[in-house]
Amino acid sequence: MSGPRHDDSWRRLTRRAFLRNAGLTASLVALAQLRVAPAALAAAEGVAGPSVLSPQSAEILTQIVERMVDSEDPRAPAVRETRTLAAIEGVLGQLDPALTSDVPFALGLFEWGPFVFDLTFSRFTQMTPAEQDESIRCWMNSRLELRRLAYAALRNLAFIGYYSQDGTWPEIGYQGPLLRGRAGA
Amino acid sequence: MIVTLGDQQSDLALQADVCVIGSGAGGAVAAAELAEGGRSVVLLEQGPHWTAADFSQREDEMLPRLFEEGGLRQTRDGAIQILQGRSVGGSTVHNLCYCLRTPDAILRMWRKEHGLAELTPEALAPSFARVEQGLKVKPIRKDEVNALNRLVRRGADSLGYSGFVTKHNREGCVQSGYCLLGCSYDAKQSMLITYVPRADAAGARIYAGARVERIEADGGRVKRVFGHGVSPAGEVRGSFEVSAKAVVLAAGAVNSPDLLLRSGLANGSGQVGANLHLHPSVIATGFFDEEIHAYRGIPQSYYIDEFIDLERDPHSGYVLMPIIAFPALTAAMTPGFGRAHSALMRDYAKTAGLLVLLHDRTSGRVASGGSQAKPRIDYALEARDAEQIAEGLVHCAEVLFAAGARRVLIPYQPEPLLLERGDDLTEITRRGAAQGQLTTASTHPQSTCRMGADPRRSVVGPWGECHEVEGLFVADMGVFPTSLGAPPQITTAMFGDRTAHHILEHWKRFET
Repeated sequence: MSGPRHDDSWRRLTRRAFLRNAGLTASLVALAQLRVAPAALAAAEGVAGPSVLSPQSAEILTQIVERMVDSEDPRAPAVRETRTLAAIEGVLGQLDPALTSDVPFALGLFEWGPFVFDLTFSRFTQMTPAEQDESIRCWMNSRLELRRLAYAALRNLAFIGYYSQDGTWPEIGYQGPLLRGRAGA
Repeated sequence: MIVTLGDQQSDLALQADVCVIGSGAGGAVAAAELAEGGRSVVLLEQGPHWTAADFSQREDEMLPRLFEEGGLRQTRDGAIQILQGRSVGGSTVHNLCYCLRTPDAILRMWRKEHGLAELTPEALAPSFARVEQGLKVKPIRKDEVNALNRLVRRGADSLGYSGFVTKHNREGCVQSGYCLLGCSYDAKQSMLITYVPRADAAGARIYAGARVERIEADGGRVKRVFGHGVSPAGEVRGSFEVSAKAVVLAAGAVNSPDLLLRSGLANGSGQVGANLHLHPSVIATGFFDEEIHAYRGIPQSYYIDEFIDLERDPHSGYVLMPIIAFPALTAAMTPGFGRAHSALMRDYAKTAGLLVLLHDRTSGRVASGGSQAKPRIDYALEARDAEQIAEGLVHCAEVLFAAGARRVLIPYQPEPLLLERGDDLTEITRRGAAQGQLTTASTHPQSTCRMGADPRRSVVGPWGECHEVEGLFVADMGVFPTSLGAPPQITTAMFGDRTAHHILEHWKRFET
């Protein structure tokens, strides 16, 4: 995996390719790599936190995931207690750089979106959970394709990262693979 | 032995009687039959060679290993996800093993409207029989029908809808339910463990990680195939060149036309890449009170054919099929977010999916993306087809409620439609099913190199040989003259068998 990437590309508003491609089908690409090289390597090396994203981008993404998978069920593992973000970074590390270079861009849009698009004098990470939900809803229902696609892309990354964690399965009643004991599985 | 070119830096020059491109349902059958018929064969597969030991039953690991573009393939507008296999064995590694012959009414329509007088059930029977034997096709036993399929059958029966338990190509199935992620037990009789080993045993030279980039013809005859080795991570390795007297192109209905277009071959009619059909599919999800664990057991065995009458109209209709997905994919495909979404996910073990698979009249196109770029896929669902999908979703909801569901989810984007028992289901037809409104996928791209007697309207003739290039055959779903309207595995394999036997019977023509 390469080192940290520059985090200012979100300022370039012309990059639609990532957002278009990372809609519905990004889910499968993401699924693809969660337990392949990067995630597995990170686990093996005891890497504690994200390395592809800057700390600022990682915090924005973490808060987005927290709202996406928010549950009333106390058994649902908290996002920060799982390896969800490391898994997402594993996904990003395996994708075409032409797509992943726009992730900080999309995260930056999400962070500043309330201020830029919705005339709310707050950044996403400074909002209450209820305000964050409302902000996400604005992205989801926006008349701007760019915002809807950003929502779809980040949403899919969030779900793939979270529900690929074995710890989330008991809550939903998924019994998991039958080959858990097999080497390499 | 299967050689992985993705591991090799050196260049390779090969000669063969026949070069087969693609190891899925069409290519693997053609390669085995040709090799067993005494021809020297080189079989090239772009994807890696995975085996049962690699199939971990984890969706996060297996989906990218088994699918084209790591699962990213989609129509250009992003509205339809296109899932095609990309490994030795092609889509037969991940498919769900429905085994149906080409419907007689479809063959009749192909004969009448596309001049394919040769395609009679009687003439095709030997090929069907061979592939069914080769894949160990047999009826699914009553005790092999899982909870999901029993439940769907119960709903359909109570409504009086026509349906049946199909045949499948499994042997010694342990009913783990992970067919979609590759069979860890070698029970699924995919090309990976049937025809590819047969080709190997008969002396075919088989190369995985072999990306074909160009086919060359000279004087109207096919001559050579060029490409590079590619590692599973996509790193380009050494080049290869195969000189052959005949080439069978079976890379699937997206990659085959892309390759022909990049090679500048067989497209005087302008039909290469045209006439794309997708069998677009949308899943309705029923929520039940009891745990179903629909992901356990044989995923698909029951088949509802109430809404397709090919004898009356061979061009339209839809079928309903039970379906499952594992948690991460289910979460991504379920619209919405937050507590409402989590509440739906909490009932994962109590859900049952039923999909509408459309026999589409809509016609799209595959265009070449150039030497390295991905093919471009354009497809715009026609209004009459969208109406059929909406109607199909109404029937899915009916069946699921009749089976006992307390709620049914229709995957409208960005927020789903949740129907309660007793709700007016015409809300679905009121909303419609225009492209982009619903989470939609395709696993059956077809018809992009269609077969026909008229060279102005088709790419290949009645035996799969390109009208314009002698010795160049196509043997994948691309040759279907129209949408098939049924699961395509057996029809595709039949065309692979038929093409191979035609080449064997007329070998002197290619030898000279």
